[in-house]
Amino acid sequence: MSSLTFQELILELQSFWGENGCVILQPLDLEVGAGTFHPATFLKALGPENWNSAYVQPSRRPQDGRYGENPNRLQHYYQFQVVMKPSPADFQERYLDSLRRLGLDPLEHDVRFVEDNWESPTLGAWGLGWEVWLNGMEVSQFTYFQQAGGLECLPVTGEITYGIERLAMYLQDVDSVYDLVWSETPTGTIKYGDVFHQNEVEMSTFNFQQADVDHLFGYFEFCEKEAERLVSLELPLPAYEFVMKASHTFNLLDARHAISVTERQRYILRVRTLARLAAQGYVASRAKLGFPLADKDLAEAALKALAEESAA
Amino acid sequence: MSTQTVLFELGTEELPAGEYEGMANALASGMASGLEQHGLATGEMTVFATTRRLAVLIENVQECADDTEQEVLGPPVAAAKADDGSWTPAAVGFAKKQGMSADELQIISTEKGDRLGVRKVAAGALCTDVLPAVVTQAVENIPVSKRMRWGRERHEFLRPVQWLVLLCGAEVIEVSLFGLTSDRVSRGHRFHGQSSVTVAHADAYEATLKEQFVIASVDERKALIRGQVEGLASKDERVVIDDNLLGEVTGLVEWPVALRGSFDESFLTVPRQALISSMREHQKYFHIEHPDGELVPSFITISNIESKRPEAVVYGNEKVIRPRLADAAFFFDTDKETTLASKALRLESVLFQRDLGTLAEKQTRISEVAQTLSQTLGADKATVKAAGCLIKADLVSDMVGEFPELQGIAGRHYALHDGAPEAVANAIEQHYWPKFSGDQLPQSPESAALALADRLDTLIGIFGIGQVPTGSKDPFALRRASLAVIRILLTFAPTANLEMILTTAKQSFPSGVLDEGVVDTVKAYLLDRLPAHYEEQGVSVDILRSVTAVGTETIGDIDCRSLAVASFAGSDAANALAAANKRVANILTKVDETLPAINEQLLTETAELALRAALTESQASLDLAVADNDYPQALSNLAQLREPVDAFFDNVLVNADDASVRLNRLALLQELRGQFLKVADLAVLAR
Repeated sequence: MSSLTFQELILELQSFWGENGCVILQPLDLEVGAGTFHPATFLKALGPENWNSAYVQPSRRPQDGRYGENPNRLQHYYQFQVVMKPSPADFQERYLDSLRRLGLDPLEHDVRFVEDNWESPTLGAWGLGWEVWLNGMEVSQFTYFQQAGGLECLPVTGEITYGIERLAMYLQDVDSVYDLVWSETPTGTIKYGDVFHQNEVEMSTFNFQQADVDHLFGYFEFCEKEAERLVSLELPLPAYEFVMKASHTFNLLDARHAISVTERQRYILRVRTLARLAAQGYVASRAKLGFPLADKDLAEAALKALAEESAA
Repeated sequence: MSTQTVLFELGTEELPAGEYEGMANALASGMASGLEQHGLATGEMTVFATTRRLAVLIENVQECADDTEQEVLGPPVAAAKADDGSWTPAAVGFAKKQGMSADELQIISTEKGDRLGVRKVAAGALCTDVLPAVVTQAVENIPVSKRMRWGRERHEFLRPVQWLVLLCGAEVIEVSLFGLTSDRVSRGHRFHGQSSVTVAHADAYEATLKEQFVIASVDERKALIRGQVEGLASKDERVVIDDNLLGEVTGLVEWPVALRGSFDESFLTVPRQALISSMREHQKYFHIEHPDGELVPSFITISNIESKRPEAVVYGNEKVIRPRLADAAFFFDTDKETTLASKALRLESVLFQRDLGTLAEKQTRISEVAQTLSQTLGADKATVKAAGCLIKADLVSDMVGEFPELQGIAGRHYALHDGAPEAVANAIEQHYWPKFSGDQLPQSPESAALALADRLDTLIGIFGIGQVPTGSKDPFALRRASLAVIRILLTFAPTANLEMILTTAKQSFPSGVLDEGVVDTVKAYLLDRLPAHYEEQGVSVDILRSVTAVGTETIGDIDCRSLAVASFAGSDAANALAAANKRVANILTKVDETLPAINEQLLTETAELALRAALTESQASLDLAVADNDYPQALSNLAQLREPVDAFFDNVLVNADDASVRLNRLALLQELRGQFLKVADLAVLAR
């Protein structure tokens, strides 16, 4: 079998998880460091409502840029994100089926679930799970969310994050991400490098050398104030957008080495505080609607718990 | 007595490799003690554990526990009948509760008098009845390091629980845990086996799983992996099988298949520790050596399947390790583009500790102190100086950034590359030795001087700013540093004065930074670590206290005296003299007067004259022995005093009416005590 092109890989994963009951979303139109930041994961993991979704998320990590010179490191890459809430009992089997769909036979390739616990200090989130090894290479992260925005997750969201460049490099047997075949077109083969190499060079230059530090510090403050203001106006979704913007601004400042080691911890705490506010605001707003997507018993239990909390 | 085999299996999603075995053992002991509490005798127990299951098989479990007789006590006989001879309400009430009439009750004698009561025979518990509760309790008591929830319920475990099997012989016993109900349906290997596997009988468990490509026994898997791994090395190669790594990979597979891959020979120019770390820490590979210890450019990985195309698994693993090794090689090469000396300059921007300055400052202090101590340790000062300005430089290298365990090793390579002499390169590597308790000491006096100065700097610095380690918190590893100081001094400078050494270290800090009393604090802390150092040599805390009570000038002296007292202690003479010393010490502490010199004229009693003579005789030989540090000889001299001392206390009254006689006798005792205190305060050893 000829291996999948990069775009076929995405299409296969989308149709597989679509068949598995997931709402197929499009990427979030903001800069984020990982698919977990997408409201379809972070916010939907909160409260009692059910939710199944899958989407590609471009992920930006300014620090990881290498001016297009490193075959494995990118400041912009893709994650394929799957969330299922509550996590189904056969979540692992479904994941393995998705690998089979991509042409990876687990009787031929050694697939392993190796302990790996996930934590996002900026989101106040953590979970337990594994990294998935394919012949010794980490190709996915598998996490059962326990907490997000400082709030306990129930039902639990199961999250799978595929590193799709890596998976594709394995399937296509190339050693450089830039050699990945993105697509075969009538006018010739389009490679990952054709699509993104120039972007890596220019964005690395921007992230490391040109990003305006003074402006970014000011913008971080602005985002922080906006997030707080919007939460107080009971607008948690716009507030959360400013949390994401604050987080990305912090990442840029970090790439510019503009934040000292001791200050760094304080910035992380500030973003976490905002994430927590937005999370609480979001749950409150869904509670007002009666948690429409939740199982009845869980919705009632959650509403009761919230009522008791505010009474106390 | 009929018995059955009991089997319980808890099926899970993949458990962390470090924990599953301990959890299975806890489950097993929980079940065994649970059955025992119900009076059920049990036979041999086998514990099974894989990454997807914890299981316990107990053979010859009594089907039914023996009957037991129970006494149920009611009211006292005295309160059982009214004056008219009728039963009181208390008696009637008790009888009713027991389901009988009061006339049927018996009189049972107890320590507190006669009581009404009944003797009942309680039928022994049935194994099948108690198993659900026993299993539930045992599962609840499994230690779980970090609990998690899954799905939509509140159940918690280390990873999601997927299935339960509970069998008593061939019979399914129902127990409900984690929202699941037990059955006889297990699961086979994730890929080779079936997803539902019927276990017909508890006895068939292990064999049934093996048919399903699951080796449930940890020991069997371990042995299998060891055999396979060794089988993949040729006759003139040796696979290094680290027990921790073996344990870890055993916990990652149910059907182990060892495969051998290789990497490009050109990577062998990279320090072997970096290659081994890449293979072991990241990929959990075993590495292979030639007889001379040189690495073979190969690795062995343990896969969990009998692959249809093993070459695909090998190929994949080779593809993963290649960039990792390439990273290491890249770091090694780029590090070598700049000299170690230029890297040392960058230490100025790395903080050691906020109040104690940068690593550059620390390195300067270490170098100065080591040079000052060179003579004491018999080290060549020029070598110490040359190494001293480089020892921490590799901490800013890319290699150590990626592989922290290469500190010192990388520095050694880079120093040699820069043309430094072997002795300097060795000192750079070995100043980190001993790395852990029981690790080897630095091999040269130069390395030892730097190793010592490094530890002293940390101890004096951290204590000097008041960051005393507490029970669980010792972030600067001061305990380990202290033990290293003791060992290095014992080997390289046993006669060095402790206070002088600590003061030298203190003086390397700018004035005003450290607490003034830090030398005493650190000295006391070092002495407190002695029991840990001597633990394996059978020198007790009391012996060390008896020795340090009389002098702590040098580690070597403490060592000689401790070992001598340790071999002396426990003998009859030692016990008697310890008691006598304690007695003398107690008497002397109550004396307020200044004692005069011994006046021979005032000695009249035979026993005191004899003690005086014995003391005079022992004095000279004791001084000689002590001067030679021959403490065993000194103690055997002192042992000669036992009889005259005993005779003195038996026959002489210290508190004589005549004050001058009394003071003279006290002076005699002080002389006696003084002789002992040249070796140790034996009073501490008195029981």
